[in-house]
Amino acid sequence: MRPDRRPRLVRAPAAALLAGSLTLAVALTLAGCGDTGDARVASRSVVILGFDGLDHELTGKLIAEGRLPNFARLAEANGLGKLGTSVPPQSPVAWSDFITGSDAGVHGIFDFVHRDPKTMLPYLSTSRVVADPDAGEPWTLGDCQIPVDGGQMELLRHGTPFWEKLERAGVETTVMRMPANFPPSGSATRELSGMGTPDVLGTYGTFTFYTSELFYDDSKISGGGEAVEAWAEDGIVSTELIGPDNPFTKAKTKATAPFQVHLDPDEPVAKLVVGDEERILKVGEWSDWVPVSLDLGTCGKLLMTPSIPAIARFYLKSVEPEFELYVSPLNLDPANPVMPISTPPDFAAELAETTGPFYTQGMPEDTKAFEGDVLGRDQFLEQVRIAHDEMVVQYQRLLADWRGGLLFLYFGAADLTQHTMMETLDPSHPRFDPEVSPKYADVIPRTYALFDEFLGYVLEHAPEDALVVVMSDHGFTSWRRAFALNTWLWRNGYLAVRDPQSALDAKLFGAVDWSETRAYGLGINGLYLNLQGREKEGVVPASERLRLMQELKEKLLAEIDPATGRPAITQVFLREETYVDGGHREIGPDLVIGYAKGTRGSSASALGELEEEVLSDNTEEWPGDHLMDPDAVPGVLLTNRPLVRPAPTLRELHWSILAEFGVADDRAPN
Amino acid sequence: MSLLNAALRRLFDLLLYPFQSLPAAVGLTVVSLLAAIGMLWAFKKTSNQAGIEAAKRRIYAGVFEIRLFNDSFRQIWRAQAAILRANLTYLRHQLKPMLFILPPLVLAVAQLQFQYAYAPPAAGSRTVLEATLAPGWESGGVETSPSGKPRAELVLPAGLVAETPALWIPSERTLTWRLRVEQPGDQTIAVRIGGRLYEKSLDGARPLERRSPVRPGRSWLDQLVYPAEPPLPADGALERVSVDLAPAEVALPGWTVREMVGVPAWMTVFFLLSILFAFALRKRFGVTF
Repeated sequence: MRPDRRPRLVRAPAAALLAGSLTLAVALTLAGCGDTGDARVASRSVVILGFDGLDHELTGKLIAEGRLPNFARLAEANGLGKLGTSVPPQSPVAWSDFITGSDAGVHGIFDFVHRDPKTMLPYLSTSRVVADPDAGEPWTLGDCQIPVDGGQMELLRHGTPFWEKLERAGVETTVMRMPANFPPSGSATRELSGMGTPDVLGTYGTFTFYTSELFYDDSKISGGGEAVEAWAEDGIVSTELIGPDNPFTKAKTKATAPFQVHLDPDEPVAKLVVGDEERILKVGEWSDWVPVSLDLGTCGKLLMTPSIPAIARFYLKSVEPEFELYVSPLNLDPANPVMPISTPPDFAAELAETTGPFYTQGMPEDTKAFEGDVLGRDQFLEQVRIAHDEMVVQYQRLLADWRGGLLFLYFGAADLTQHTMMETLDPSHPRFDPEVSPKYADVIPRTYALFDEFLGYVLEHAPEDALVVVMSDHGFTSWRRAFALNTWLWRNGYLAVRDPQSALDAKLFGAVDWSETRAYGLGINGLYLNLQGREKEGVVPASERLRLMQELKEKLLAEIDPATGRPAITQVFLREETYVDGGHREIGPDLVIGYAKGTRGSSASALGELEEEVLSDNTEEWPGDHLMDPDAVPGVLLTNRPLVRPAPTLRELHWSILAEFGVADDRAPN
Repeated sequence: MSLLNAALRRLFDLLLYPFQSLPAAVGLTVVSLLAAIGMLWAFKKTSNQAGIEAAKRRIYAGVFEIRLFNDSFRQIWRAQAAILRANLTYLRHQLKPMLFILPPLVLAVAQLQFQYAYAPPAAGSRTVLEATLAPGWESGGVETSPSGKPRAELVLPAGLVAETPALWIPSERTLTWRLRVEQPGDQTIAVRIGGRLYEKSLDGARPLERRSPVRPGRSWLDQLVYPAEPPLPADGALERVSVDLAPAEVALPGWTVREMVGVPAWMTVFFLLSILFAFALRKRFGVTF
């Protein structure tokens, strides 16, 4: 770290951090990995535009159609490169491959979720809260308590990021919204955490839907949102925003922020009042960011922490016949974040000061609200656009202040629009609706065109000698068929259930008879053996492991989808054959399933559920995906001049970036 | 009150006219200098300079006594009592000049507030216009919809667009619109209600000109606090009309002053500069304070 070299965006002091208001604070030091470093002062400038999910095939098609003129410029100069993705091709895994130049055996991220073999419960793979085991009980005072230890957020990605190696060589790095980098590594000159950054509740994003509808079925939004009943009395809806648990009360209470919505008796318009903030909204309008103070009650005031700061956006969906209001996940207030989201800590506040408040949650696009019909297609697209525009404004500002070194800028809009709208480009998809889908057929191409527009801006405003790299972590395709891996294991005698009658209703392996189960699936691509000495009730002896893995591989590869007449699975990766032994290989699945292009593991199976059919049509509001055979979904690589060191894969690109700065590393693969 | 405000508006418009196109810091520096000179002159003329000198000497003596006799509790207590008495005397001597200085200063600050506190509305920005109906408006010939909402029409100049219909909140007696500024300028918004037009200015053509968030009604206090526009007619349906205005910043060399804990940026600059000028000029004016 060299504080004297950090240019500040503004002179005004950053907003003070709210001391001790939540449980989380991080001081993370990543261990060095022995790279030699290069003492020369770097003089090159490299801008990397990381477009999550930008597909190679679709990019080529849109270039050919003339929709992406700036991409075309780069493709003409140096070719439209295929960038090999990770095993499996999931974003946290793929970005971690790029970040560390290694595979999951080194960085330890094998999936969005891992499982604890001692409890068989899944957990999020990239970060966790670590409590101090030596911390005692909270101090109590009447109804109040003072937490002795709030715990710390821990980044579970291992390995040395490329920016850390560059910093050691004297290169200034700015890393914006890099996935799998929460809490921020602390090793860049400036960084803002991205995918994996939670909301104030500590989740990946929980929206709230306020509705006057009696008997509203909230099961359709479970897992991503909360429904709250809200009625108007004398034209006023009085309710509250619900925050996290109040850490300062002995009783289980929530930090809350009351708010009112005043409804006009005649017109579809309302006034929103949250604390001192007021907004006038018509039905069908989004608010800007509204600052929210989640009240911690008398105990919080006594402990000099009266509230938790957050920000939220409101969407007034309807006032008649039902009152319906969507409230975004309560995002960390970038001006005053209660968890670490940037390096230096006040960098997020400086950004907010110069370009306005912004989505801090890692994946701002609210697909859960879209899947649950809380946001319609147009509203969801508008929300995606809002999040994208915030990034563009910030990135333009950063680019204007940039003095060289490395600048990494991440965009996530393509990933989420393809996940949710891919059927619009695929008339053979089970969800394709001839009435609706064609109207939205241009959404994904338009998203690509937005990226092209930003690339044009970068090419125009970056220093002339800057290397501009356009890359994506994986490609995309239509997800038509769902493969229920646990059901396949059950049907083929590898997984046993206690009561077949109720097996289909159980969640999280609730129906599984572990004493008779040899293998189980968790996560979209992961297949684990129920191994003696590792799993809680393991039955497979270690001596049987490799034979069983081989057997499963052969059987899975022989599985034919009756709907297509083609294999449902085109690759199965054995752990020891796929990953290097980098200290974290043991976390990973024993086998990783590479589903055929167009087929993906079913969502229910990924969380340990059993289904009627092994293979079925995908009817989820999630028609696009990439969690398949990595060879079927390569990413994109475009540059404005040839790379010093070619990069056929994400991992190789890590070393190529180092090579651009002349930073050597003895461990770089040939 | 309204006549006094009208006279002051003219005076300050005239006084600040040369600075309209200049950065706010320039005008504020001149105004602070004039205020410091005015306060020094008034202080000299209305204060007991000899008494203030004597009180300050007694305070110094007390402090000196404490240092000299720091091993004697009795002496220390006696010296502290003397310092306290001298302090009270000092404050009494300050009171009289303050009675002369404060009233014009409050009126001046109220006028300056509307010249310097609010930023001109920028193109593309949004504001909220709120019209508060007078108590008993129902009997004033205002038409209503079947739901009881008063019928009102917004008359906007070119450059301003209403983004929402009027929102009626009966418990607050307010009609509210959200407006978008397409082209800033010296604009007048009008609300037509009960057959009459009620106007509110929204000036944004120049960086420095009178801007007020509120056009007050007949309330004396409202007129004192919001003197920038003439009050609304006393017998009208509206009690006040307000718009949201963004706080202005003052750019000093190396320091952009912003609104802090509710204190407008200009006020921070004005008081800092006034104090600096007053200290710098006190000997020239032969004033002690």
